[in-house]
Amino acid sequence: MALTAWLPFVLYAAAAVTYLVHFSKRDKKAGLTATGLLAGAVVAHTFLIGMQTMEVGYAPLVGTTAAVSAFVWLLGLAYLYVELTTEERAMGAFVTVLLAVLAVLPALDPTPAVRPELLRSPLFTIHVLSMLFAYASFALAFVLGITYVLLFKEIKAKHLGFFYTRLPSLQTLDVMNGRAVVVGWLFLTCGLIIGGVWAMQLHGSSSDSRVQAMGIRDPKILFALLSWVIYSFALFARRAIGWSGRRAAWLSAFAFVLVLLNLVPVGYFLTRSHNF
Amino acid sequence: MRLFAVGISHRTAPVELRESVDFARRGLDAALAALSARQIAHEAVLVSTCNRAEIYASAESDTVADACGRFISEYNGVPWDAVAPHVMVYRGAKAVEHLFRVAAGLDSLVVGEPQILGQVKNAYAAATEVKTTGAITNRLFTSAFSVGKRVRTETHLGEGAVSVSYAAIALAKKIFRDLKGLNVLILGAGEMAKLTGVHLKAHDVRQLTISSRTLDTAERLAQHLGGRAVPWSLLGEALTAADIVVTATGSTEPVLTRPRVEEAMRPRRSRPLFIIDIALPRDVEAGVGKLDQVFLYNIDDLQAIVQENLSRRTTEIERAETIVRQEVDKFTAWLQSREVLPTVIALRQRFDEIRLAELKRLESKLAPLGPEARERVDEITHLIVEKLLLTPTEQLKSTRDETLAVTYSDAVNRLFALQSPKGPDEPGEPS
Repeated sequence: MALTAWLPFVLYAAAAVTYLVHFSKRDKKAGLTATGLLAGAVVAHTFLIGMQTMEVGYAPLVGTTAAVSAFVWLLGLAYLYVELTTEERAMGAFVTVLLAVLAVLPALDPTPAVRPELLRSPLFTIHVLSMLFAYASFALAFVLGITYVLLFKEIKAKHLGFFYTRLPSLQTLDVMNGRAVVVGWLFLTCGLIIGGVWAMQLHGSSSDSRVQAMGIRDPKILFALLSWVIYSFALFARRAIGWSGRRAAWLSAFAFVLVLLNLVPVGYFLTRSHNF
Repeated sequence: MRLFAVGISHRTAPVELRESVDFARRGLDAALAALSARQIAHEAVLVSTCNRAEIYASAESDTVADACGRFISEYNGVPWDAVAPHVMVYRGAKAVEHLFRVAAGLDSLVVGEPQILGQVKNAYAAATEVKTTGAITNRLFTSAFSVGKRVRTETHLGEGAVSVSYAAIALAKKIFRDLKGLNVLILGAGEMAKLTGVHLKAHDVRQLTISSRTLDTAERLAQHLGGRAVPWSLLGEALTAADIVVTATGSTEPVLTRPRVEEAMRPRRSRPLFIIDIALPRDVEAGVGKLDQVFLYNIDDLQAIVQENLSRRTTEIERAETIVRQEVDKFTAWLQSREVLPTVIALRQRFDEIRLAELKRLESKLAPLGPEARERVDEITHLIVEKLLLTPTEQLKSTRDETLAVTYSDAVNRLFALQSPKGPDEPGEPS
């Protein structure tokens, strides 16, 4: 079990190293190897999640560690999809580093948490998965935003070097960033509505302290609503007041920092409503 | 059979001579036909570009070098005296190396330029069409293509724009992805503006707009380029609509000031604007480049990029040369083994003939032996011959030095009085 638990992390880390080699050396073979390793990591991860599901009889989404694991898995899948459809591999170096770092957490604590009676509802699975998929989308937007800014600075400073030869055009990065934010926002909105409806149902029927803590004052919920506000503004700003390009890039980079804070430290230490 | 490369290039001949020597003028096939009518070479391929006119030929005798030189002069109607001092001749491995370096872009005026490989491919295609190629040139040119491909994929020799206009186009592509669907505004209607317009037109931009202080000249250029002219007074609107602006006016004052561009940028929101200032003195205030989403490059900036790319290319040259050397070795080894092969075969035949003749001569003495023992005798004698020939065969095949291989081959032929399959023109050929 220990080996299967560490395997996804090892493969994500190997993919990250290979993507970095590909990015710095611009070596085609390294690029193909990197994609292969990442695909292998996602497959191993899928296998692990499948095994856990069979073992406990429900989707292993209870608790922050499980959520991080599912987030890594969804981001890996989403990135692979983007890479295969756009044939653009430069972003992989950034994405896989994030994946490798986060994949440590589930590897350290691989045993799926026991699901309390409270979370038996199918709404739970839908809520968690749509939130996590939204976060994965925002992670891609974050990477696209960061790379946009790096390339923008090089072109603006008339010093065409490292990123100029490695990244796609500014417009490509900007368009992809816009799409990632739209997709993320849709899933975030769904996830929040489902979560809200379900919490209201529970309020009447359960006296669990966590259910009672489900409200705007809980940091986990507050951060999620805050990121919804920011991403809504990003969407509005791009369409109505023409905030594309550098502003949109910065905005999506900043907003994801909030998402990441919410996912990991808030999830582990601060929340009173989501600590399952 | 030897390989020759004979011709003129930008390294050996001045531009006036290169201009008057052009095999492609009346078609490569016509030139190849004229060359093969002279019967000076077994196989021949003509490579003709604006920077070189070269004949790659395989022939027995060294006279082909001179004959090819004279063909270059006579076919193009240029006096021999004017051509002769500029003709370069490469023989054997040097000729192979030369073609490989040409195909790799190492011999080009701008090192690493990509067109040359296509031109070499066309040259070969034309030669196969009129059937002037053969076993040696076929192998030579397919090897040259793989050298070109290897250099392109394994080194960064061809990367980075090395002319100002390509640097500008490459930049535009890094900002906008591609130029299709973009609006280009050209300020000025002089020669530079015209050249830029033609260049951009070739990249399928959506609309070319030309504006100049005198509407007449702008209209004339617009008509020439298939764009539209806009009066100078409507410059602000034209700026707002443009994605790329090229300024090439003769104005002594900046025509695009910071407030002017700032105002034009406002309704554009975050849509980027790429301004290329190719005028001297400059047409655009330096402060314009500080505006958000405005990318300002002047001619010096572009030249600096070109310079940087060129120096990056020179660091890749060594890697490309290594690939060329490897492939030259491979090819000459093949050629050499092909060269000595008739000798090797003849030598083996000779030894086996002797063996069989001796066995026959001793027939009566061997008669008392049983069939099994006779088989053994046959086997042993065969093995002895094989063992005796092993080292000389290997030595012949592995000789990389061309003249040494010929000497060895000759010596073996004479020592063992071999009948070369090549027949009449073989013995005592003057060189």
